[in-house]
Amino acid sequence: MMLLNQIMPMILAQAEHAQHVNVARLNDQFSWASMILWLPALSTLLCGLCAALKIKNKLPAWITVASLGTSFVLTLLLYINYSGPTIVHIFDWLNLGWTSNSQSVNFIANFSLYVDSLTLLWMLFVTGLGTLIALYASEYMESDVGKGYTRFFAGVSIFLFAMTALVMGDNLVMLYLGWEGVGFASYWLIGYYYTRPSAVAAAKKAFIVNRIGDLGLALGIYLIWHNFGTVEYSVLFEILNGDGYSQQAGGWSIHAIPYLLMLGAFGKSAQIPLFVWLPDAMEGPTPVSALIHAATMVTAGVYLLARMYPVMLLDQYALPIVAWVGGLTALLAATIAMAQHDIKRIFAYSTISQLGYMFLGLGVLTSFGAAYHVFTHAFFKAVLFLTAGAVMHGFAGQLDLRKISGLRNMPGWRIVSYTMLIACFCLAGFPGTSGFFSKDAILAQAFVTPGYGFRILGWIAIITAGLTAYYTFRVWFRICAGPVQFEMGDEHHGDDHHGNQPHAPRFAINFVLIVITIGAVLAAVPFFMANTTEGAHGGWVAEMIYDSSAIHGLPHQAAGAETQHATLLGMDPHTAMYFVSGGIGIFGILIALYLHLINRKAADSLKNALLGNSLTRWLPTAMENKWYVDEIYHAIIRAPLWIIGHALNLFDLWFVDRGIVDGIARIPKLLGKVFQPLQNGILQSYGVSMAGGAGLIAVLVIVMPDLMQWLGNLLGGGG
Amino acid sequence: MADKLWFLLPEIWLFVGVVVLSIIGLSKSKSLRDSLPFVTCFFLIVAFIMTPFVYSADRVADAPLLMPMLGKYVKMIVCAVGTMLALLSVGLLDRPLEAAMAEGRTRFDAIRVNRGEYFAFFLLSLIGVMLVCNANDLIWLFLALELASLPTYIMVAISRPSSKAQEAAVKYFFLGAMSSAMFLYGFALLYGSTGTIVITELRDAFTDQTLSEGGLSRLAIVGMILSIIGLCFKIVAVPMHFYAADVYEGAASPVTAFLGFVPKTAGAVALILLLSTVGWSNHHGFNVDGLPREILTTLWMIAVLTMTLGNVGALLQRSAKRMLAYSSIAHSGYLIIGLIAGPPFGLNAVLFYLLAYGLMNTAAFAVLAAFERRGQEIESLDDLAGLRRRYPVMAVVMAIAAGSLMGMPPLLGFAAKLYLFIAGMNAGHVALIVIAALNSAISAFYYLKLVALPLLAQSTPQSETVIPRPVVWPRVAAIITAAAIVILPIFANQLIKASNVANSIEQSALLSATDDLSLVEKVEDGTRH
Repeated sequence: MMLLNQIMPMILAQAEHAQHVNVARLNDQFSWASMILWLPALSTLLCGLCAALKIKNKLPAWITVASLGTSFVLTLLLYINYSGPTIVHIFDWLNLGWTSNSQSVNFIANFSLYVDSLTLLWMLFVTGLGTLIALYASEYMESDVGKGYTRFFAGVSIFLFAMTALVMGDNLVMLYLGWEGVGFASYWLIGYYYTRPSAVAAAKKAFIVNRIGDLGLALGIYLIWHNFGTVEYSVLFEILNGDGYSQQAGGWSIHAIPYLLMLGAFGKSAQIPLFVWLPDAMEGPTPVSALIHAATMVTAGVYLLARMYPVMLLDQYALPIVAWVGGLTALLAATIAMAQHDIKRIFAYSTISQLGYMFLGLGVLTSFGAAYHVFTHAFFKAVLFLTAGAVMHGFAGQLDLRKISGLRNMPGWRIVSYTMLIACFCLAGFPGTSGFFSKDAILAQAFVTPGYGFRILGWIAIITAGLTAYYTFRVWFRICAGPVQFEMGDEHHGDDHHGNQPHAPRFAINFVLIVITIGAVLAAVPFFMANTTEGAHGGWVAEMIYDSSAIHGLPHQAAGAETQHATLLGMDPHTAMYFVSGGIGIFGILIALYLHLINRKAADSLKNALLGNSLTRWLPTAMENKWYVDEIYHAIIRAPLWIIGHALNLFDLWFVDRGIVDGIARIPKLLGKVFQPLQNGILQSYGVSMAGGAGLIAVLVIVMPDLMQWLGNLLGGGG
Repeated sequence: MADKLWFLLPEIWLFVGVVVLSIIGLSKSKSLRDSLPFVTCFFLIVAFIMTPFVYSADRVADAPLLMPMLGKYVKMIVCAVGTMLALLSVGLLDRPLEAAMAEGRTRFDAIRVNRGEYFAFFLLSLIGVMLVCNANDLIWLFLALELASLPTYIMVAISRPSSKAQEAAVKYFFLGAMSSAMFLYGFALLYGSTGTIVITELRDAFTDQTLSEGGLSRLAIVGMILSIIGLCFKIVAVPMHFYAADVYEGAASPVTAFLGFVPKTAGAVALILLLSTVGWSNHHGFNVDGLPREILTTLWMIAVLTMTLGNVGALLQRSAKRMLAYSSIAHSGYLIIGLIAGPPFGLNAVLFYLLAYGLMNTAAFAVLAAFERRGQEIESLDDLAGLRRRYPVMAVVMAIAAGSLMGMPPLLGFAAKLYLFIAGMNAGHVALIVIAALNSAISAFYYLKLVALPLLAQSTPQSETVIPRPVVWPRVAAIITAAAIVILPIFANQLIKASNVANSIEQSALLSATDDLSLVEKVEDGTRH
């Protein structure tokens, strides 16, 4: 209750303030915006056409790049012309009405776009990065030109279509459509190398784990409709912000909504307890890991909670739980990342960890920090994955950081090495980088917002920042610095023209790396950009969520918040955090520098020392084995289900099939055998049977009226 | 009289067709005689187009008939399905002669060819069915029924050069005669009880009996039950179903398809007319407590026995034709549910079902008629094994037809069965619907054989020898009917509306058409929820 008492006035004050901006208008002036949605869909169809025509060149890639690029340009145009929340109606989709208990009920979910600043923020980096990564993939996937190439780009296009529907839809049903669509596209692309059993298993794992979250989302949407009678954002937010609705109202079915939505978000964004699918999802081609499993799709959970912020406030414990889950996930994933050797897996755990930060931000009431971190993270994590992909591409699948060294001194690898370095600085939160500012916004808010041990979470997050800096630079110092030596992987392309020598990336990859790296560096600028909207601090990103439903999480919004401003180390938390997190980031980098560049043997001896001591042996082992989470899930969830499934199968086989079904099936055949003798093919016998039958019926009906009375009563009915 | 004759224009037109066909049938030119089925189709199609114009609103208002609009619907479906059946019969007759001519063993011999008669009888039988719905007295009804039946005896006999066909024809003829005697006796008793043979007057007389004596007279009940049982022969229902398996197996497949549709339609329409004289509880302007208990019980027993014996019998068959014969019996059982339920839903469902059954029955037999083995038509289920590998289209048609007969959504058979069951439920016959649903489940067992054998099974040495018949038209008919089975469910609402207009009573046809719209909406509501 403490939290409620302290922050609720703040929220309510904001709600009142927000009321006048938050009403979306229907606008047909932007009907061209629907092309943002349709272009990727068109691209999917054209890729399908390419598959049908058996096209054996890079045409599908150019189709995809062109349509996504056009989508990006249209999104930019939409941003430039933007002036307040807008609904763009495309067509009527679901429009049902009926009467229940003499009340008219309706269910409306139109195929419409809801364009507000939050939508635009997401769409800008989704389409922008989508275009660039598709361009990168045109070179990366070239060894598969032909059928696989087309399949890949069709998958990317359908992903973009679904992601657009998810982000731009004006109601929860359309969001759900996109949600399932991106899940399907993710399944499609993780399982791209479908001849590899591990890829197929990873695809299934991703799909099934996501189903658990999706169930939560579906139930949440149902309960929202059940309680508020709508799934349309504009109507829903009007109800929630309106005078008629009291925050404390409603029974369990209202209080359950935030938790169900949370479950959906945790599934899609890989948080505890549903994070296990994301590391395995790295089985997919690297551009997919960069686009779907780092930059865009996994942030759908953050988007959902930011979009549904007013709904998340329906239960006072919901956001604190989000914060704790996010904080703990960040720590857990960071510890796992420290002990992995496969660089794609390190980056995957790092993604989970950074997503944890974003949820922490949402939980401690800074949707601004969360959204900003999503934005910066999308750039630098994309760079990290794309450089990892370039390494994998050039070294025939080699990803083990112990087997490659001194990349920056190899010919042709300079761009990869230095773009990776810049991205590492961003991820590590090195002062002055974009990651530094976005992370600090979240960390500081943890000390500002009162309640539920958020200060503890803040310290956990700071420790995690140090770990992050360490594992990030562990990768860079191992791979890019040091003496030149390497060992090729065992995955050779079909056109193996380079033998046992690595082949450096060419134009498309280098170009894309440079562009996105510039984006990652410049992502720090919006933090300092003056914003035009009154009342919102925090630069351009703050402006970008100002007139959306996530407005409640803006910094320094209400006047009341200033008076309760907490302090950290005797300073304003935002100022203090620059020193604390910057310092711990540099500290992590220095440790990595010593252990993995200057004295690489020290790292091994440290590990051996830990393993040698029986008291500390568990630590590196457990970290390397990912805290045995997969094994625990296997034992407590999969094994019992497997046993129950097989028991039911035996029951079905022996009791239902053999017993009931076959038993009943025998009865008609026996009956048939009884009547068979009547059907003997002799005319006279037929005649007698017919006449006899007619006589029998006549006698039954006429001579026994009592029987008829009884039968009639039995049969009932009017006739 | 002129009013009545006006509605006979389609029949008169078809009778012109009969004369033309008979004359062409005497021609010495082979090509002219080969055109016979297409001439038949031409006459049927023109009659089909003509019918809606004949049943114009102002004419119908003055018609001295109990259900004036019945003819429009029934005549149209008879002409439509009849066209398909005529296509099925292309190249059916004189097969040994054709084969001999193809091998050059003999020349065309006008005396030995009898396809002219076949198609003339074909049309005559259809005229019989069409006349049934115009019947306003019992004599007319009897004659029309006989006109529908008598040509079929001959069609069975000449359909193929085999002693089996002769045997089937003789059995069919004798048992048919017996059934005719039975319902003629029933008609006589009805006359004895009421003193009239005019159907509209019968209806008034029965109303009087019910009002004055609290029920129908014993004589009327006996007459009614005998008539119903006699008509059971036409619709192939227990206890008059025994002939079905033998006759269906003995006749050639196109004729079997004909037998499955034409006499059944005649019988069902005759039963609708007869039962409407005693009336159902919600019959227009006819306030009785529903069907008299004795008649209800009779129909109830017949329905249950018919569907059960039909389905159980079909389970044991290895011959596709015998299986379809039993399936025809089972479907009559379902049909009677609609007769029990009564108007408007029950009769709507019956009329809809007649069309649906006619199409799916024709489709199934068309596949059988499309193939032959060593000049003989195929009969056994084993002949169909692995059909998909060599003739995928026909295999799919068979699967569609069997699926529809089984009542699988979204095919036409499903909609038809659904309407029947809903009508039964609405009338309160839950037990009957439960039994019918169980029967439907049993029927899936053998219909799925017709789906699985052509599509999934491997070819056997026996089925490898099956080849398509030289004429293409049975296959065309198969594809058209299968397409109709797939497409028509989309228009189920319109068809049900048409059949609803068809069974409205007397001159109120136009008035009640507006009332009935609300009823139709109720039916639709019922299906929607």
